[in-house]
Amino acid sequence: MSVDSPQSTNLLRFITEYPTSTSSYDEMCSATEALRPHWDYVIRALETLGAQELARRTHEAKRLLRENGVTYNVYDDPQGMARFWELDLVPMLVTSQEWSTIERGLLQRAELLNLILADLYGPRTLIARGLLPPEVVHAHPGFLLPCVGVRPAGTCSLPLYTADLARAPDGSVWVIGDRTQAPSGAGYALENRIVLSRVLPSLYRDSHVHRLALFFRTLRTTLSALAPQRRDNPRIVLLTPGPGNETYFEHAYLANYLGFLLVQGSDLAVRDGRVWLSTVGGLQPVDVILRRVDDTFCDPLELRADSLLGIPGLLQAARLGQVAVVNPLGSSVLENPALMAFLPNLARQLLGQDLRLPSVATWWCGSEEERAYVLTHLDSLVIKPIFPHPSTATVFGARLSLAERQRLTEQIRAQPHLFVGQEHVALSTAPVLSDGGLAPRPLVLRTFLVARDDSYVVMPGGLTRVSPSLDNWIVSNQRGGVSKDTWVLASEPERDVSLLPAAARAVDVIRSRGEVPGRVADNLFWLGRYAERAEGTARLLRTVLMRLVEADATREDTSLPVLLRVVTHLTTTYPGFVGEGAEARFAALEDEVLDVIGNRQRPGSLQFTLTGLTLAARSVRDRLSDDSWRAINGLAQVFVEQPLQLSVAINGLEQLIFRLAAFTGLTTERMSRGYGWHFLDMGRRLERALFGSGLLSAVCISAEDSGTALWEALLAISDNLVTYRRRYRSSPQEAPVLDLLLLDEGAPRAVGYQLMRLQEHVTALPKKTVLSHRSSEERAVLEALTMLRLADLDRLLLVPPGKEEREALDQLLSRLGYLLHSLSDAITLSYFRQTELPQQLVDIQ
Amino acid sequence: MLYRVKHVTHYRYSEPVSLCHNEAHLLPRSLSHQRCLDAHLHIAPRPAVYHERKDFFGNRVVYFSIEESHATLEVTASSEMQLSPIPVPELGATPPWEHVQTLLRHEENRGALEARQFVLDSPFVETDGSFAEYARASFAPGLPLLAAVHDLMRRIFTEFTYDPEFTTIATPVSEVFAHKRGVCQDFAHFAIACLRSLGLAARYVSGYLETMPRDGQSQLIGAAASHAWVSVYCPQLGWVDFDPTNDLMPSDRHIVVAWGRDYSDVTPLKGTILGGVEHKLKVAVAVNRVEENESGA
Repeated sequence: MSVDSPQSTNLLRFITEYPTSTSSYDEMCSATEALRPHWDYVIRALETLGAQELARRTHEAKRLLRENGVTYNVYDDPQGMARFWELDLVPMLVTSQEWSTIERGLLQRAELLNLILADLYGPRTLIARGLLPPEVVHAHPGFLLPCVGVRPAGTCSLPLYTADLARAPDGSVWVIGDRTQAPSGAGYALENRIVLSRVLPSLYRDSHVHRLALFFRTLRTTLSALAPQRRDNPRIVLLTPGPGNETYFEHAYLANYLGFLLVQGSDLAVRDGRVWLSTVGGLQPVDVILRRVDDTFCDPLELRADSLLGIPGLLQAARLGQVAVVNPLGSSVLENPALMAFLPNLARQLLGQDLRLPSVATWWCGSEEERAYVLTHLDSLVIKPIFPHPSTATVFGARLSLAERQRLTEQIRAQPHLFVGQEHVALSTAPVLSDGGLAPRPLVLRTFLVARDDSYVVMPGGLTRVSPSLDNWIVSNQRGGVSKDTWVLASEPERDVSLLPAAARAVDVIRSRGEVPGRVADNLFWLGRYAERAEGTARLLRTVLMRLVEADATREDTSLPVLLRVVTHLTTTYPGFVGEGAEARFAALEDEVLDVIGNRQRPGSLQFTLTGLTLAARSVRDRLSDDSWRAINGLAQVFVEQPLQLSVAINGLEQLIFRLAAFTGLTTERMSRGYGWHFLDMGRRLERALFGSGLLSAVCISAEDSGTALWEALLAISDNLVTYRRRYRSSPQEAPVLDLLLLDEGAPRAVGYQLMRLQEHVTALPKKTVLSHRSSEERAVLEALTMLRLADLDRLLLVPPGKEEREALDQLLSRLGYLLHSLSDAITLSYFRQTELPQQLVDIQ
Repeated sequence: MLYRVKHVTHYRYSEPVSLCHNEAHLLPRSLSHQRCLDAHLHIAPRPAVYHERKDFFGNRVVYFSIEESHATLEVTASSEMQLSPIPVPELGATPPWEHVQTLLRHEENRGALEARQFVLDSPFVETDGSFAEYARASFAPGLPLLAAVHDLMRRIFTEFTYDPEFTTIATPVSEVFAHKRGVCQDFAHFAIACLRSLGLAARYVSGYLETMPRDGQSQLIGAAASHAWVSVYCPQLGWVDFDPTNDLMPSDRHIVVAWGRDYSDVTPLKGTILGGVEHKLKVAVAVNRVEENESGA
């Protein structure tokens, strides 16, 4: 990237056309409309790229984010919840010099909050000494009485801390929010960095940006050190509420990046005072839980009894010092804006220092004088409850009607300790790309800290979020908004830091089969089944559509009606072309076929299968390589366009078949052969065997000869056409076709081949009992395989005199179908047995 | 007065339970007027983990887990308690209730600071204006605190109907108030709601009651189960108990097990089970007075 004249700032169109305001601070331009020096290089470089190139790179960033499936779930969004993450190309820039001031402030604040937390759950001297009113603590639902006296693992009460920063019009930086229980955003910050550095590689390299890797390395070291036992190689899990959570993407992403297992509450159980992970291979001890579940939901025994996200007995395990929970349960007591009113004094008392980084000015209504101030200055303040509550939202006093104002005043008077008034902070603005130019948007910077030794490490930079418009002051992902990478500009290039820690001693070679919780095995199995089902269905439908398109009006294609009935049978979209009203649907073929493709409400439709596939894949996102994920991510969007056009459908099917084949190839080649792989491939094999036998029973049992065209179709659907032609060099006949589709264990699409692979998988799985006889899975596969091996091809094809069906074949295929379904049930029962949901014993007097 | 208490909780499940975690507030604490001579839990089947600690309020709480498959769970709490009578304070000599209200807000001595948490709403008791309105009939301006509380207790006793069929533990206090029906814990929760709505500190006491009639005294209500009443904070005196179910101030016939903000802090036995599907519960409490010479033998 070449930059010609570094000083001629006023020549930049980006700057001359950039609107500035006098009522707020702009990160890029000073009030005199001069470009701040640390922005010069980046802005110049961006302008040099030109509008067209910027648009192309924005598009590229968008593509990367979509392919990586970076999403943010919006709770009340009817459109399937997942919203794609938006990243603006212009990074937020901070100089090293300013950053070190911010960093010192953050370190001090984290240390202070850590001391407060330790006191509240320990001796509670702050209350006894009158430094903190009891109401500020006891009225906050984050103060969990059962957690009092529970010692945190290690010496630190607050291993992770996150602060939201804003800049006031005078340029000073304020903390506007503290996040202390399960802070989110670090993973998005990392993803932003990875994407932006790929989209603007030279600019990123030449700007000497502080790297993020050290932060994550410290996070991993700190968490490992918290393990009560087995510190050399502790088992660390990331506890997520599940794919429905707003930041689920981040949970899966961080788990992968940090090398932790992603688990849900039902995967864990407390036994013998310890936390165990229930895997298909048995129970494995868990040493550290990095939680993304809110603390009251973590233990239905001692905390919220109605929680289904937690682990009964977890708090007791923590109390016994058997597991480290990060952040410790109860730490949300610090997420209380009322605390901000007391921090300056607490900093002097506990640290002997003044607060370096001020909080937004806060008045706690629990004290009389401050309440009086708030009530007389409602117009200029923001009124907040001290904890988020459905009936009391954060409100801007100035925007209240007279009646609302009256109501709020009454609420405050009735329970004053539950409210604070805060100064309305005019957020600073930073430039975002908009219509080929730059436009200012209000921003909030989220910063991240992790404990190390006696202090903390601050992530250099963080997650900058900007509001969707200039006059919208609430920056929230729930309300839409864009994020930015945050660059702390180093004065000289940084050394590369790898995330892999330098081993203090030689690392033991580990060949684990992988720890797979039953829930994950279940999802992998169904991912395999859905992927295979989608591919089979797509091949079938493609064959049908091609025949429809190429139909020759002068010659009747006798195989077409047969194929259409096959579609109905195999997709189980009855009545379709077989049941009641089939005549009418034969008359409007295209509509029915397109409906079987695109109607997501219709069980059995291709779109329905794709939805199932997407859900299963999302639940095991952390188990799939980025490339495998990319292959199937977004498949559910292929047929969303309604009404579906024939040409779009055919293109979509082609694309689908190609991407599913890529997915199969990538997982086959890339996944290590642990238990996870066995379940994925078993699902795939089982479904392929079911599809193959279903296809044969729909086509071959009837003795009616539908001609060569049908056999050809059968070979095409099962992807055997080439093999057949090479082997037989003649038009298809029934005996060789049946052999190739059913019996041939050397043909990768034949049912016999699937059974052989299933037998290998079933044998490799861990056994729950040490009984000498075979498990029900093994018996089902063995019977099916033996049946095929003993089958006599001629007998199978025989039509008994006076009959119209091949009875032997019919019997064999229906027994085969039965055995395959039994196999699926047996696997489910042995390995996925849904952990029973915990229920409460209600003690009624 | 010496008592032997036996409290049996029995669960029968329709399907086997593979794992259960439990927490019991069943072992009585020792106080100035009550000495716990012996207390223990017998749990069948035998728990894999058993751990006793003091909770936030200083109550004895036991955590235990059963990790083998089981179809029934029986927890028997047995204790031997030595009680001495509590002298009844001079109710009319206590400070006017408004003074106590003000003092609670401003005084920063340890007792008052600790009492302040009991003015706040708690999971089972949310205050509102209607409770205050009801209470005001007893809390005339300037009335001594305990005289007013005593009158409130008497009104609850006379105006509310003891009805074990009407409420469950999930019934909100507002509903108890609307129908003026319930059992001891409902009356305790209601009294707490009234007192807190006036800015006073009130806590929930869980315990047992000797129900057998004594010479010249009537039989008390609360048979065959654990009992509950209310305690109010009064400067100088500390915490003073009132039993609205029986319209009396507890003395040596009320055995304190535990106290907290409300029932949720001191649930006698709670648990989370895996499996079980449905369960049936039987509870039996026996409080027997022991002759002093008998115990010595």
